[in-house]
Amino acid sequence: MATLSMNMPFRARRLNSKQMSKTESPEDRKVRLFEEQAIPLMPQLYGAAMNMTKNPTNAEDLLQETMVKAFKAFNQFEQGTNIRAWLYKIMNNTNINTNVKAGKALGKTALDELEDWQIGGAESVTSVAARSAESEAIDAMPSETVKKALLELPDKWRMIVYYRVVDGLSYAEIAQVLEIPEGSVMSGLHRGKKMLRNLLLDYAREEGYKVGEEE
Amino acid sequence: MSEIDCQETKKHVHEYLHNELSEQELDDITAHLANCDSCEADYDLESTINHKIEEHCQEVPSAELLDGIKSRLQQILRGEAH
Repeated sequence: MATLSMNMPFRARRLNSKQMSKTESPEDRKVRLFEEQAIPLMPQLYGAAMNMTKNPTNAEDLLQETMVKAFKAFNQFEQGTNIRAWLYKIMNNTNINTNVKAGKALGKTALDELEDWQIGGAESVTSVAARSAESEAIDAMPSETVKKALLELPDKWRMIVYYRVVDGLSYAEIAQVLEIPEGSVMSGLHRGKKMLRNLLLDYAREEGYKVGEEE
Repeated sequence: MSEIDCQETKKHVHEYLHNELSEQELDDITAHLANCDSCEADYDLESTINHKIEEHCQEVPSAELLDGIKSRLQQILRGEAH
C-alpha cells in the first residue's frame, strides 16, 4: 500500500531505494511524484489563495480543496508539463466554483470596458524630478499600505499582478491558468499596475508627500 | 538596431521588466533608456512598485495548515487503498 509520509522531507520513504526501483507500484509512483512536485508548492499556492480570497480562513479552505482535487486528479497530470500552472489552474477553477455556489460569482464585470479615465491618472507627461519623488515616496511606504492597495484592485487584475510580480509566472503561464489570451494578460497587467500606481500615489499624497501633481 | 521613441518605450515597460520581449526589442529599449532620463524614471517607478509588492505581499501558511492538508491526503490515500 502506498503511504504518504507525514514527516518532512517527504522524500524520506519507508521503502529503501533498492526496493523502490524494483517494486514501485503505479500507486507508489503517483504518491512519490505528488510529494516531489506538488507538495513543495503549497506555501506559494497559499499566497495566491490569500490574494484571491482576501481572507485566511477562506484561503486555508481553498488550498486544502485544491490539494485534494489535485491529488485525486494527479493521474491526469501529464508528467513533464507545467505542474505549477496545473495547480494554479485547479485553484482558480475551485475558487470560481466556490463563488458560484455562494452566489458571489462576479457576473461578466465590465472590466475590459473600463475606460482609461476610470482607472485614473491620465498618462501625463511628468518631469523626471516628479517621477523620482514618486519612486521615493512609494519606496518609503509601509507594508500595510502596499497590501491594502493591491487588495483594492479588481479581482482579475489583482490576480494577474500577483501571479506575475509575486509568484513569477510568465505571461504564457498566466494565460493558461486564467484561460485567457496572452494579450489579455498583458493588458490586464498594464491596467492593474496603472491603477495600483495611482492608488499608491493617492496614499503618498495623504501622507503629505508632494507627488503626482500633474504639470 | 532600430530607433524607438518614448511612447513606444513607455508602452513596453512591463514586458521589459518581466523579461517578455524579444532580444531585439530588449536591445532597442535598453539603448533608449540609456539616453532618456524621462523613460528611465518611468521604468524606475514601475520597478520600485514591483519590488514593494514582491517584498510585502507574500503570505506564509502556518505549519498546522500544511500538516493538516498532508493528513487529509493521507486519509484519502488510505481510503483508496482499501
